[in-house]
Amino acid sequence: MPMIAQRTAALLLCVLCTPLLAFAAAPQPTHEFSLDNGLKVIVREDHRAPVVVSQLWYKVGSSYETPGQTGLSHALEHMMFKGSRKLGPGDASRILRELGAEENAFTSDDYTAYYQVLARDRLAIALELEADRLASLKLPADEFAKEIEVIKEERRLRTDDKPSSLAYERFKAMAYPASGYHTPTIGWMADLERMTVEELRAWYEAWYAPNNATLVVVGDVSVAEVKTLAERYFGAIPKRTVPPAKVPRELAAPGERRITLHLKTQLPSLMMGFNVPGLATAEQPRQVYALRLAAALLDGGYSARLPTRLERGEELVSGASAWYDGFSRGDSLFILSATPNVQTGKTLEQVEAGLWRELEDLQNTPPSAEELARVRAQVIAGLVYERDSITSQATAIGQLETVGLSWKLIDQELAELEAVTPADIQQAATTFFTRDRLSVAHVLPEEKGNE
Amino acid sequence: MSERNGLRYGLLGLALLILLALLALIINRPDSSQAPAPAAESNSIESLDALGDQAPSRRDLNIQTWQTAEGAKVLFVEARELPMFDLQLTFAAGSSHDEGVAGLAMLTNAMLNEGVPGKDVGAIAAGFENLGANFGNGAFRDMAIASLRSLSAAEQREPAMQLFNQVIGQPTFPEDSLARIKNQLLAGFEYQKQNPGKLASLALFERLYGSHPYAHPSDGNAESIPAISREQLQAFHTKAYTANNAIIALVGDLSRSDAEAMANAVSAALPKGPALPRIAQPETPQAGLQHIEFPSNQTHLMIAQLGIDRRDSDYAALYLGNQIFGGGGFGTRLMTEVREKRGLTYGVYSGFSAMQARGPFMINLQTRAELSDGTLLLVKSMLSDFIANGPTADELNNAKRELAGSFPLSTASNAAIVGQLGSMGFYDLPLNYLEDFMRDVQALSVEQVKAAMAKHLDTDALVIVTAGPTVAQKDLPPPTDTPAEQPSAIPEH
Repeated sequence: MPMIAQRTAALLLCVLCTPLLAFAAAPQPTHEFSLDNGLKVIVREDHRAPVVVSQLWYKVGSSYETPGQTGLSHALEHMMFKGSRKLGPGDASRILRELGAEENAFTSDDYTAYYQVLARDRLAIALELEADRLASLKLPADEFAKEIEVIKEERRLRTDDKPSSLAYERFKAMAYPASGYHTPTIGWMADLERMTVEELRAWYEAWYAPNNATLVVVGDVSVAEVKTLAERYFGAIPKRTVPPAKVPRELAAPGERRITLHLKTQLPSLMMGFNVPGLATAEQPRQVYALRLAAALLDGGYSARLPTRLERGEELVSGASAWYDGFSRGDSLFILSATPNVQTGKTLEQVEAGLWRELEDLQNTPPSAEELARVRAQVIAGLVYERDSITSQATAIGQLETVGLSWKLIDQELAELEAVTPADIQQAATTFFTRDRLSVAHVLPEEKGNE
Repeated sequence: MSERNGLRYGLLGLALLILLALLALIINRPDSSQAPAPAAESNSIESLDALGDQAPSRRDLNIQTWQTAEGAKVLFVEARELPMFDLQLTFAAGSSHDEGVAGLAMLTNAMLNEGVPGKDVGAIAAGFENLGANFGNGAFRDMAIASLRSLSAAEQREPAMQLFNQVIGQPTFPEDSLARIKNQLLAGFEYQKQNPGKLASLALFERLYGSHPYAHPSDGNAESIPAISREQLQAFHTKAYTANNAIIALVGDLSRSDAEAMANAVSAALPKGPALPRIAQPETPQAGLQHIEFPSNQTHLMIAQLGIDRRDSDYAALYLGNQIFGGGGFGTRLMTEVREKRGLTYGVYSGFSAMQARGPFMINLQTRAELSDGTLLLVKSMLSDFIANGPTADELNNAKRELAGSFPLSTASNAAIVGQLGSMGFYDLPLNYLEDFMRDVQALSVEQVKAAMAKHLDTDALVIVTAGPTVAQKDLPPPTDTPAEQPSAIPEH
């Protein structure tokens, strides 16, 4: 076994020594600075077109919330469109629409972010509007009374009436017994029912400070120009002490957990998740990159293992996926999901066994040099393709910064992945794909509820 | 873009969900604001005051065009900034060419990358993925697409192009793949049965188009798909995937001579044969309402009429008029009246789908079942008012400003440009089309927009399909600019 691993490693190294022709183009100039009030600003120049994206990222999201107060971050995001000192409810959206901008916001476990994509000559307006609601949100009680109803409707629409979302929410609550990742971003209905505008005000005052935010600007701009505008609009907003944010830590081996859900769905499906570290919590960063490669070996394209072996080969599944996000603020999950091929009469039990066969294969057999080379080629190309979209670039930067990592990881990604050996992948698979780290959800149609 | 991937993930709602949920759980702000308050206090927005009315500049495209020896039209934009390229082939090979075999065009397109001489589906997928290249495909009513994104260095570009040319030129349509994809499609049709919006849309196109080839869905149906044979796919490929029937759009890190060589190779790889005839214009449908009984909480409403083809001289006026009436969401008349003032829906949209033959003008929305009759009446009366009176001067100016402002965004990435080129080529629009369109829009008057809407739309001619439960109807809540703090003023979904 060690010999095989060694030989594969040698092959891998050989594949890796091709020069990086793909990087003939110089990396995009990227600048980083902070205002005196602690606002961090990252500017990436992309002069291909006279457009710019501005994103303001706050270090707060549903993983920061406590029981009884779930959904606060997302509700606050909604209320950020309901008026500030210079703006009445809906004004910012109307102004931006008339300028031809795309704008919106999003909330997740680890962050809340607001963005505008617009012609470069109107960047100042985006920043002025964004700064105004950071400095002076109004949070009117009558607006909140209406908006919380909208949020409940959103929960009904996107979670309660959507079987796949509902299943994932329950699965996640089970798979994260100890950390704030347990909490659904939209909040539990019972907490939405009793949320008050005073809680939102406290949440806003606690977390919406310039020193808890990152401004990312990507596009046809110079760093000097952004610096001037950032100073002008954000510079006077005072720094504030924000509460300590604890890294979300999970139990290493909580024990095997299973859930069966009968929902209004057409097709049965299953999810399997293993408690694993993220880059912020891993003992060795290499484990995280090994897990990323494991996910790519399973599901990185139509020639990867799950589509090749389970979808087309055995015709066991009509679809299957593997997913792992190592760039989180704390611990993470390695998730597999699949839908059985009902035409060939396959069951969830057979599919679960089939997924386990693939995981055991990762544990027992080193991946081939050819497979690893394929993953590498996709990573290299993906890094170039990502640069075609200013929004993708800004999002990658903002997300890394907001979970406490550095945007510079983007530039190191290839080297990190290349340092992983086949033995590292086997070792990560052996360490992490164990029953006592596993959560399983079986999702079944309602009429077959007699299991 | 890839029908294949669309299909896979369509069947696998769960995987898609997980991706979405994990990537960000992007919970967009709902467009739920009330009517725009005139202005907040007296604090002006200094940067807005300073901007002035000047339209922003945009990327200079320098579109080059030529024809290959076999007759394919090529559109090319050199973009040297990133070491990559995008190639998109657009064939007049959509489901309007199915000729009675519903789903034939889509299935042919979906099977392109399932086998070529000497390579099975796994080898083809590995071939592209070993190079970091992305193959994409998709079939619609007018067109079918095959695309490639790759790094531009010769060591990736050349093998990627070689494989791409095999896939588009010599697909073998293997039987085992055909059986698998048919099964996936059949599962997809099962899935549709629980989607009232989809059922309404299928019925609407049937009623709008009758015996015209736009009537049936591109995916075909559970009756048509099982019967389609490998020989039919081969025959369709030979007939519809010819160079004369293709537009080649190229954007990226390529010289003119690189682009010419690539386009020539693509063109030479395709079957030989003439372009397919244009799709004939549809007959005017019979107006009226059809209801589909469905046990949902909401009723889906689709209100439609035949609109225009892509080369209609009123395109700019109708585009601008629709933008004011119901295009693009937040701030339109429909959104303001139906959602913001009355809380009847989460979203309401209208649009002209300008196609090779006359595409539909369509309004669609969903509302609580017990308010569906009143909502339908409201929307019809709004349309009638807009046709009769047109937009206000302010509405017109704001919409012009919005379009001018968003123009630079439409060509900001290689992906956006290759899409524009494909569309310009397919609908035979001039190279300066984007500038002409912007100039035409800016020159429009209220009268012109009103006249164009009145010429093409007529509330007595509407074809309407509703899907939902039959329940006792209630009166609509009264409109209000500052809705009461009652749950009744809140959209049901």
